[in-house]
Amino acid sequence: MQRISIDPITRLEGHGKIEIFLNDAGGVENCYFQIPELRGFEKFCEGRPADQVPQIVSRICGV
Amino acid sequence: MSKLKLASYWAAACGGCDVATLDIHEKIVDVAAVADIVFWPIAVDFKYADVEGYEDGFIDVCLFHGAIRNSEGEHIAKLLRKKSKVMVAFGSCAISGGIPGLANFKQKDDIFYRVYIESQSTQNPQKVYPQTHYAVPEGVLDLPEFYKDVKSLSDVVDVDYYMPGCPPTSAQIWAVIGVIASGALPPKGAFVGCENQTLCNTCTRAKTDKKVKKFYQPYQIITDPEKCLLEQGLTCMGPVTRAGCSNQCISANHPCTGCYGPVEGVIDQGAKYISALASVVDADSPDEADRIISEIADPAGLFYRYGLPGSLLRRAK
Repeated sequence: MQRISIDPITRLEGHGKIEIFLNDAGGVENCYFQIPELRGFEKFCEGRPADQVPQIVSRICGV
Repeated sequence: MSKLKLASYWAAACGGCDVATLDIHEKIVDVAAVADIVFWPIAVDFKYADVEGYEDGFIDVCLFHGAIRNSEGEHIAKLLRKKSKVMVAFGSCAISGGIPGLANFKQKDDIFYRVYIESQSTQNPQKVYPQTHYAVPEGVLDLPEFYKDVKSLSDVVDVDYYMPGCPPTSAQIWAVIGVIASGALPPKGAFVGCENQTLCNTCTRAKTDKKVKKFYQPYQIITDPEKCLLEQGLTCMGPVTRAGCSNQCISANHPCTGCYGPVEGVIDQGAKYISALASVVDADSPDEADRIISEIADPAGLFYRYGLPGSLLRRAK
């Protein structure tokens, strides 16, 4: 089975990769989209003052 | 003269540094006149395999954004270091961990639980966590290892220059690109695109008595635009933060949050700020000093907003 890796996917904000598996006939057998990143804003915003949170979460995506 | 070969990459970043670079607007055409971009995921379609195929030292300058959060960030940092003559830690995240570095106040297990199980927008009844290797019928899929701690770029590779800011201003980026293109590089280890003095030194607000009886959150008071924000009881980080940002926040009546990091010779911005606060708090007794200081909300998160991994503390226990 042939494997095609698109790593990284480009021209967007963030990280991603795509793994495509081809069967013997050359058709797509399966395809996986993966996000190889996590920063954890969901957790590290906890305990921060509410008025500071917009300044912090604006760094989720600067694009 | 052959054109410069320029690369730019983001590890744990938001893309704000990339956008600040693109915010030089039509001057990007001038960049294209002196440099070929050989890797820049936000803008052009080169793959990791292309970089692996370059000879060592093929890239003249690599502008590296983002903190080192996982094994992929470290791997690409090492790959780009090997392929680049000059490595620039670009922005707060690469220099000292930046906003993603706030994760060092938390534990990896707690981050995973919150994100993949507990969060209100997650449906994961089987409580599955991401695996570094996962067998599917067609083969094995790989994901990077999420590290216990956020690291800075210089924790994993040798860094030649540092360009601070969250993000660095576009004017400073343009100036630094000019220096790079001219070939007149500063001594190794230099901070570029900034000044070696505090923001406080460049601030035009009137400083008078430096006595603070009460601290406020920015939403609690209407400040006088002519007077020092710290003296009005706001925790402005200007006394311990490097200048170079064109004073954007304090010009908009918002206290500095410290994104340009400490000035040369200061290794811990937060500790320096505690020292600065001690000199302005106007207390007649230890109890009163405690009361005044306790009015500062989330002091650790504020004093180490952009630099916990690069500080002496590095992380919370």
